[in-house]
Amino acid sequence: MKVAFHPGCVSKGACPELYVSATKIAGSLGLELQELTEAPCTGAGVLSEQNPELGDSLNALTLAMAESMGGTLMTICSTCQGVLSSVNHGFEKKPERLEKANATIQDQGYTYKGTTKVKHLLWLLFEDIGVEKLKSAIKRKLTGLKIAPFYGCYILRPTDALGLKERPERKTYLEQLIELLGAERVEYTGSGKCCGFPMLTFNRDKSLSMGGNHILEAKDKGADALVTPCPLCHLNLDGQQPDAALALSKPIDTPIFHLPQLLGLAFGFSPQELRLDHHVVSTKRALEKVELKV
Amino acid sequence: MKFTIEVGRYNPEGKYAEDAKQGAPYPAPWSSAPARRYQTYEVDLPEHAVVLDALIEIREYQDESVAVRCACRSAICGSCAMWVNGHAHLACKSKLKDFTKDGKTRVEAPPSMPVIRDLVWDMKPFWENHRRVTPWLENKPLPPPMKEYIVSNDSMEELIQEVTCISCGCCLMDCESFAVNKDFMGPHALAKAYRYAADPRDAQTQERLGDYSKHGGVWDCTHCFECVQQCPKGVEPLEQILKLRRMAVNAGYTKNAGTRHADAFAESVKHSGRLNELTLLPKSVGLFNVFGQLATLPSAINMIRAGKLPPIIHKTIPGVNRIKAIFDKVGGRFK
Amino acid sequence: MIADHDIVVLGAGLAGMRAALEAARGGANVAVVTKVHPLRSHSNAAQGGINAAIGETDTWESHAFDTIKGSDYLADQDSVEIMCREAPSDVMEFEHMGVIFYRNAEGKLGTRAFGGASQARTYFVGDITGQALLVTLYDQILKAGVKVYEEWFATTLYMEDGRCRGVVGLEMITGELHLLRAKAVINGAGGVGRLYEPSTNALICTGDGYGIAYLAGAPLMDMEMVQYHPTTLAGSGFLMTEAARGEGGYLLNSLGERFMKTYAPKMMELASRDVVSRSEATEIAAGRGIDGNVLLDVRHLGPEVVLKKLPQIHELAIDYLGLDMLKVPIPVRPGMHYMMGGIKTDSDGQTPVPGLYAAGEVACVSVHGGNRLGANSLLDTIVFGRRSGKNAANYIKSVPDSLGGEKLLKAEQTRIAELLARPYTGETHARLRLELATMMDKYVGVYRDEAGLNEALAKQQDIKKRYATVAVGDKGRVYNQALTFALELGYMIDIAETTIRSAILRKESRGAQARTDYPQRNDAEWLKHILVHYRGDKAPEITYLPVTITQWKPEARTY
Repeated sequence: MKVAFHPGCVSKGACPELYVSATKIAGSLGLELQELTEAPCTGAGVLSEQNPELGDSLNALTLAMAESMGGTLMTICSTCQGVLSSVNHGFEKKPERLEKANATIQDQGYTYKGTTKVKHLLWLLFEDIGVEKLKSAIKRKLTGLKIAPFYGCYILRPTDALGLKERPERKTYLEQLIELLGAERVEYTGSGKCCGFPMLTFNRDKSLSMGGNHILEAKDKGADALVTPCPLCHLNLDGQQPDAALALSKPIDTPIFHLPQLLGLAFGFSPQELRLDHHVVSTKRALEKVELKV
Repeated sequence: MKFTIEVGRYNPEGKYAEDAKQGAPYPAPWSSAPARRYQTYEVDLPEHAVVLDALIEIREYQDESVAVRCACRSAICGSCAMWVNGHAHLACKSKLKDFTKDGKTRVEAPPSMPVIRDLVWDMKPFWENHRRVTPWLENKPLPPPMKEYIVSNDSMEELIQEVTCISCGCCLMDCESFAVNKDFMGPHALAKAYRYAADPRDAQTQERLGDYSKHGGVWDCTHCFECVQQCPKGVEPLEQILKLRRMAVNAGYTKNAGTRHADAFAESVKHSGRLNELTLLPKSVGLFNVFGQLATLPSAINMIRAGKLPPIIHKTIPGVNRIKAIFDKVGGRFK
Repeated sequence: MIADHDIVVLGAGLAGMRAALEAARGGANVAVVTKVHPLRSHSNAAQGGINAAIGETDTWESHAFDTIKGSDYLADQDSVEIMCREAPSDVMEFEHMGVIFYRNAEGKLGTRAFGGASQARTYFVGDITGQALLVTLYDQILKAGVKVYEEWFATTLYMEDGRCRGVVGLEMITGELHLLRAKAVINGAGGVGRLYEPSTNALICTGDGYGIAYLAGAPLMDMEMVQYHPTTLAGSGFLMTEAARGEGGYLLNSLGERFMKTYAPKMMELASRDVVSRSEATEIAAGRGIDGNVLLDVRHLGPEVVLKKLPQIHELAIDYLGLDMLKVPIPVRPGMHYMMGGIKTDSDGQTPVPGLYAAGEVACVSVHGGNRLGANSLLDTIVFGRRSGKNAANYIKSVPDSLGGEKLLKAEQTRIAELLARPYTGETHARLRLELATMMDKYVGVYRDEAGLNEALAKQQDIKKRYATVAVGDKGRVYNQALTFALELGYMIDIAETTIRSAILRKESRGAQARTDYPQRNDAEWLKHILVHYRGDKAPEITYLPVTITQWKPEARTY
């Protein structure tokens, strides 16, 4: 299956392990990724918040690029997913918004007609690639591993833009995936909550407490690791975890997997290939549970 | 149709006396909330009955000791906000059949708020923050006697989204920032703040925006959409907060991390098409903010050690001129 | 605890808070006592709008005439004149306070049509006018720094030397009783909808204001005048604002006819509420209803109007019946909505009990007489709330401090303790209330007759006897709602008696009182108010007061 692929900024910056693992597992799923190398950052909501027209124009450009490449745009970041879905939905509800955005990107030779479907890898797995194909790609069941899902706000809210009214099952894909891969899923209240990243630079302590609390809850319920489809969440949950532990005065020591890394392990790739040895919080103990070494 | 209801019980005195947590008005967030005693009841009600119908049925015919605030039954008074199956909802608007999980519906006072008795929670944090935003009109010079201010219907309709707020507290109950930050004003208060800041008849817009940009104000919101999701009246508090942020920045209140963050973000994207995390953090914190920079040093070192530092020379995407042109055309203050 | 204030206001709805604000502006130390947070007061459920003769082609005389005709000539015309004359400045004041009224193309206040009004004079905020006014008034109370005793239940008025000197309140969070002493008490605790089943009213509208004043010696007037709102949602009884008809909606029977042409050919669906309710009841009784309802049809108004001006009721119908009024007509029927009767007051809010003032629904001035026009109640609360507050603030200047009340407080503490100690008998207050309320709807509803009313009185007396032994199901102190409910039921039982007795006495049909055995209006004998006075264990005493006529002689009332 061919898809236009927007890797986002962080997978090519501070979370290179995400880009590496995502591109590696694509083949196992029969995914042919056509990377949008010229697509801009989505703005992560920050640009749209301060200047809605700018956010609309930048994202219209990306959506138009994807439109000309088949019309399905794959993201590997909950935030990209949220922002692009929100802009797409806005264009549908208010055609004037789309007109305005087109007036800007037309200068660059692009027009967005409004037909692109934005789907995170997580959704593509269940909705387009299919559970059967996924099952056939599994070479190593992750039995013995207890994983807690952490979705990231922007792939769960707001529900209208993300199509969650029509497809409420999207709120359960991570849990389903964890079990399909043979691991045990950990249920806790924090799975759909906020990691604190948007607030990291405004109020550092509180931002770290937020994410830290959720990891601690998962840990208390027995999780060996968390899995997240959002690299921004990963930055706060993994990258800032030592500082979060200090802010909460409690040890956390719980590794955070990217979604493609978890898939990669099940597909038979080695931890090194998936750059699981390049996390701030060591994945060693979790991997030992499935007899893997970092 | 039969329904099973699990009610979170709490009584600070008598048979079910539990530790009343005095002096801790902002209890710990969900993960460390005290374990609750739950009592199970069975009711037989019409198919479309709501949670409040069940609670009234229980209170009137099975157990008169269940305490729950309720009045209008039609989502206009805001009394019956509580946790239903783990999220904030109005009991009178939640159909039992939509809220049955594993064969039962669980209701309780929200763990993030002090509780008075059973489903009655202490709304003091809510009202105190409401009061904080100067929630009344500070009039511009009055029109002639017996004449109204002349304002367009559009400007009044802009405010109606917030005026439909029934002060139920659902947004505050599930607010992520409020759960960890007792100083945060909360989505309800900031939405109310927008309602008065954007009222063309108010004379204190400039001062208001300054107040709301301070500690505990608009920049302490983590942008997680919980309030938008849980609000039963469609107030969308987050959208009001974002409007306030825009207004505050345009009014000149730019000496804060939030504005620096947005500026740094825009600069990076304009320059290279992508986000440069290397410069984003330091610039947001403030290049001359020595303590702020030092605070982020340990995590920077951790990232370096893990080999996760972004490339020092940030790569520009091909075709970046398109991006620059877009910024030039509609970039506003980011041009 | 005993605390002293200049003025204590009972109830924090529009009337109570408006009175408190005015009294505070008059320099008084005011405290508001309310059993729920002010924003939970039932004023928030008013939907349609507020009347005032502001328009250039409008006159207060026209407004007054519409009101008096609407009241079926039972309203006291001097008070109506005051209300209609002062309406424009009161509504304007709320606009200055920041209410986001609907504007016309020129940016001025815009109107909608409403029941019984000869021209459009109803100012509104979508279909949430009550809430918009309440929220703004609450913010003004915060600004003025008025003290609010929130979630305090009033159990009795404190009388000293024949004057009202305060109230005993049950502080719900601790379960303790306290005395709030004052030089004057303003009663704004109206609404008694729970006396009837079904009703549009909230669960908190249990007649506390009427009951507490009645027991302290204030007479209740025109209690037989109970308004049934024509369009309450089938099943739940929720209010479907008159504005739906004001914006052009139709009422249809099972044959798809706009049946109002038979009963009110000129005003059709916008005749006064009692006329429309009776018309619906007649249609339903004649077999032209649908499962005991008629249909409200707003499809022809289109989404622009419905979603912008009637968003709340649109959502209510979807939430509670699963019906989208943009696509299908909605089943509605008459439901008990408002009490025109209440504590006898004059236009300054003064009741016959010195030191006791009243305003809003709890008061009977009377400006609504036998039937209230839609959008006049919101007006009533703010005009007479203001006047009561102002006059109470003046009155207290000549009142000495009180040092008494200890005895009363102790007596109340004993009474409550005894109530809590009652042993279980198997009877519950909830079942008793349901029995009472269903009985009232059956015999003292839209249509009444002698036999039914006598039956009602007998049943009420029986319920009263049984009430004296029912136990309270929760013996705790903290936030004991079973206790407050028991007290509320007590008030309702007393008020029921005043309503039934007044209905039996009035041998005519006028406004909301529709006697099938006396179907005509009888101005010769009945152009007067019926007052009921509490006399302890003896039957209540009845007195009469003539209706004040200024310029509008009673004539035949047709729409």
